[in-house]
Amino acid sequence: MASFEETGPRTPVVEPTRVDKVHPRAKWGKSIRVILTVIVTFIMIIPVLVMIMTAFKSRANIVTPPPKVLFHPTLEGFLYLFTDRSVLSPSNLEAERANPGDLNYWQKLALSVGQKINGPSDYVGRLKNSVIIAGTSTVLSVILGLFAAYAFSRFKIAGKDDLLFFILSTRMLPGVVVTIPLFLLYKQLGWNDTHIGMVILYTVFNLSFSVWLLKGFIDEIPIEYEEAALVDGYTRLQAFFRIVLPQAVNGIAATTVFCLIFAWNEYAFALMLTSEKARTAPPSIATMLGSGGLEWSAIAAGSLGFLIPVAIVTFVLRDYLLRGVTFGAVRK
Amino acid sequence: MSASESEFKSPSTKVRQRHLSNSAIVNLFIWPTLLLLIMMNVFPLFYSLYLGFTNYSAIAQKAPVWVAFQNFSNILNDKNLWQYFATTGRYALMSVSLQVLVGFGLAMLVREKFKGGGILTTLILIPMMISPVVVGLFWKLMYNPTFGFFNALLGFSDPSRSPDWLASRLAGQPVPGLALFAVVIVDVWMWAPFVMLLVLSGLKAIPDYLYEAAAVDRASSWFQFWRITLPQVAPLLLIAVLFRTIEAFKSFDLVMGMTGGGPGVQTELISVDLYRIAFLGQFRTGMGSALAYIILIIIIAISNLYIKYLNQSKGEG
Amino acid sequence: MFKKYAFALTIIMVMVLSACGPAATTAPPAVVATEPPAVVATEPPAVVATEPPVVAGPAVKELTILWAQWSPADYLQQIGALYEQATGIKVTVVQEPWGSFGDRFNVAMAAGGTEWDMVVGDSQWIGQGATAGYYVDLTDFMKANGIDKSVTPATLQYYGEYPTGSGKYYGFPTEGDADGWAYRKDLFEDPANMAAFKTKYGYDLAVPTTWAQLMDIAKFFTKPDKSMNGVAIYTQKDYDAITMGFENVMFSYGAKWQNPDNTVEGVVNSQASIDALQYYRDLYDCCQAPGLNNAFYTETNDAFIGGQVAMTMNYFAFFPALANPSTNPFADVTGYFANPAGPTGVRKAALGGQGLSVISFVSPERQQAALDFIKWFAQEDIQAKWAALGGYTCNANVLKTEAFLKATPYNPAFSETMTFVMDFWNIPTYAALLTPSQNYLSAFVVGGQGTAKEALDSIAAEQTTALKSDGVIP
Repeated sequence: MASFEETGPRTPVVEPTRVDKVHPRAKWGKSIRVILTVIVTFIMIIPVLVMIMTAFKSRANIVTPPPKVLFHPTLEGFLYLFTDRSVLSPSNLEAERANPGDLNYWQKLALSVGQKINGPSDYVGRLKNSVIIAGTSTVLSVILGLFAAYAFSRFKIAGKDDLLFFILSTRMLPGVVVTIPLFLLYKQLGWNDTHIGMVILYTVFNLSFSVWLLKGFIDEIPIEYEEAALVDGYTRLQAFFRIVLPQAVNGIAATTVFCLIFAWNEYAFALMLTSEKARTAPPSIATMLGSGGLEWSAIAAGSLGFLIPVAIVTFVLRDYLLRGVTFGAVRK
Repeated sequence: MSASESEFKSPSTKVRQRHLSNSAIVNLFIWPTLLLLIMMNVFPLFYSLYLGFTNYSAIAQKAPVWVAFQNFSNILNDKNLWQYFATTGRYALMSVSLQVLVGFGLAMLVREKFKGGGILTTLILIPMMISPVVVGLFWKLMYNPTFGFFNALLGFSDPSRSPDWLASRLAGQPVPGLALFAVVIVDVWMWAPFVMLLVLSGLKAIPDYLYEAAAVDRASSWFQFWRITLPQVAPLLLIAVLFRTIEAFKSFDLVMGMTGGGPGVQTELISVDLYRIAFLGQFRTGMGSALAYIILIIIIAISNLYIKYLNQSKGEG
Repeated sequence: MFKKYAFALTIIMVMVLSACGPAATTAPPAVVATEPPAVVATEPPAVVATEPPVVAGPAVKELTILWAQWSPADYLQQIGALYEQATGIKVTVVQEPWGSFGDRFNVAMAAGGTEWDMVVGDSQWIGQGATAGYYVDLTDFMKANGIDKSVTPATLQYYGEYPTGSGKYYGFPTEGDADGWAYRKDLFEDPANMAAFKTKYGYDLAVPTTWAQLMDIAKFFTKPDKSMNGVAIYTQKDYDAITMGFENVMFSYGAKWQNPDNTVEGVVNSQASIDALQYYRDLYDCCQAPGLNNAFYTETNDAFIGGQVAMTMNYFAFFPALANPSTNPFADVTGYFANPAGPTGVRKAALGGQGLSVISFVSPERQQAALDFIKWFAQEDIQAKWAALGGYTCNANVLKTEAFLKATPYNPAFSETMTFVMDFWNIPTYAALLTPSQNYLSAFVVGGQGTAKEALDSIAAEQTTALKSDGVIP
């Protein structure tokens, strides 16, 4: 011990050292671990790969056995997704094919599948709505949830358990049945089919989850830090912002991702409480009806496109998600 | 406010007068949340409760008529509904336990830092990011015994001898419960990453000195897992289990897209039946509200159990 | 302390909102009440009886029609554009995806909504629309303008009339639809197949004229090792598909859903019905393509497109996809036929389709404008245009014209089918009657549980309960 104090470690310790694991087998174990993770990850995302393939397949290729991995790709799925078309009756189709005139790539593609483009579909508009509504509600629910979680975690509050349970119970009632009272309530408030109505709704639904989750994370942060800070003259608020917040980043990132995913993919309320102006994308993606059935390629293309913003947010936050809470300074 | 105070001032009376008192902070932090929740949830909750005692139908243009407990007795006496509850219970049990196993396993794999770990973790999280309705639809495609990928990847090339998952048949013979298991597989695929993420956060918070101390005491790996890893991860794990169980009871989008409750009633979860009653043409809003409240009570009972465990594991007794 | 405040706030909130909440639903009843005929009789006929519209309020410049999101709605929009050219009134067809069409419409009507002037509603909604007062009574209007005679009797009865046999109409038959079949002509006309079939069954391989022949053909073409199956029939449990599929056989066997007095015991579970159900189950067991245990229009079409079946059952509305070579690789060799006959020679087909109704919540001027549109739309030349665009007209004359029959490969079968369509219930209770039917049919046919008799007995019992609790039967 004496020698350690005098010389100290020469190189910064990057990896957590384990007394029982400096065996060379450890390195091997690590490689196996990495390989295993890669394999497992691949298995997990095979269905997503199938979806990606489906987005580029023609209808016949999708439903003809046996399942094909090699196929002739087509952009039909995206055509169905981004445009509003009408199916041409055979006589009209012949007429159009005889005199095509000047057509761009998409119009030609539409003609080749017997349809005619009427204009852009509302997918992009819906996507925008999704971004606004889901993004705003996530930010709100995380912020409000953070404050509430901190208060519940650090202070004695009368009826704390009951309040927490009340907060949790808001998530328990099946959405299907709350729809009609909510519809009536919104009609009274004039919030039907408005952005603000949906933002408030999603914020409220996510609040129960964010309060509980963030409380769970904040509980893990040793209270001794703040006590030390208070002794040093910090105010409660300062302690919150300067000490607790940085350590809760992991929890905040995880909560943000989950709340965003929920609000982003929410389907039932979006269906019932919106129609034209504030409708988000999920209701329209799942029901893309082609001329004789569900348009699988459009659904795949739409879902993938819809998935990308969330994936980007998660990717950006990944370091925070995987970061460990600082430990070791306080021994209990 | 006092955010600009210098950090080295000792707590003088002057400072104390200018910052928020503890109770002010608590009020400020909690009330916005509570107000929002009360406003948006109390009315639907109470109105639904009221409707549960009526025979109201949202599309009948007639005012709600009070029928007291008739809805509730109809539900509780209907043996079909008890079967749906049992199915839902089985589904929740299978799904959540598998999610925990797989999620925990994934977390243990990913806990050590390595190059590309961030990307792989993001990829693993992708199943969670897809809309449940779409997941249901696509897995229905994948489970198709002739042109679906699932059987092909498992090595079944002959459709007549491979399992028809969503029809609960294997080579033509009925295998009851197969469809439910197929739905469980999809649910686990979607949500194990959720459990993984929470468990991972818990794992990362475990101080290494605990392991070092255990190693010095020559503790076995199993002992380390059982006595160090698990207790530290328990709070977050239980939160994950709590929310996943609640969601399993409410689970509806996924099942509706894949099987619609069939074959027969093998995958008729209680929330699918609720949707049928409350919408899908029947629009028996009163009955639906009553059923929803029964589901709510069951969920509350189960949640209470979990929360007890949660508090125990945190030492709050 | 918090609990006290929260509780007080809660009580206040609940009282305030409860005062407002139910009002939203009780207000319309005050207007529409429980006697829709009385209300309806006072408003629209007053407007309808006078032919030259009495323009009381501001002239109506635009109309909205709600429909599901599919191609026929696009065609109706094009018809609407023609109307705008003719009269200057802009017609907009609002399209709502099928999955939410019904729910959205019902929820809006429950709140007395006036977002749309007209709706093209399912045939099964007529009872609901009439008794709850959403739909304007069109009887006098249609009779005065001869519209009731312009469409085939079967379509008028099922897309317009409520109650059945009463002669009161609430919808104008717009989009006719029924179940039919598509088949692989190349397989049927292949000489090797024809020879083998004749050897095995003793008669020529051709479009089946009876259900028994259909079963033979299906069995003949079921060769699992070659990834080929006989049929793709409806089995979906979610809403109404398996009941509709079964209906095709049930009606053709001479069975029906109810007596004229609406009782079902002995009718739903009659011997003919039992035989029909056994047939449907046998057909599923022997010849249904794998993976089609929850099949509706998408799956049956997909099975055909994937080359897995020789014959597929589907609504005519979905056959354009099969006739389209870029969707269906077999389009050029796809033929269509109407339902074959039952053992007693009866031919029936399950009805789909929708009728155009006027919403009663909009102002009288708008209702009149809507009626004017319907009058214009019902004209024969407009109906011919509607058919040419792809709409499935119900106009009796247009259905017989050469132009129509030649327009698409499935029109002849469609034209034939529209003369023998038959429907499920259309009273407001229909959804509660559909549920046991779906449950037990699916359990028996797909799940293999119980016997045909048991399934139908259970359906009859539960339907009787539902009918009794709604006061339809004593």
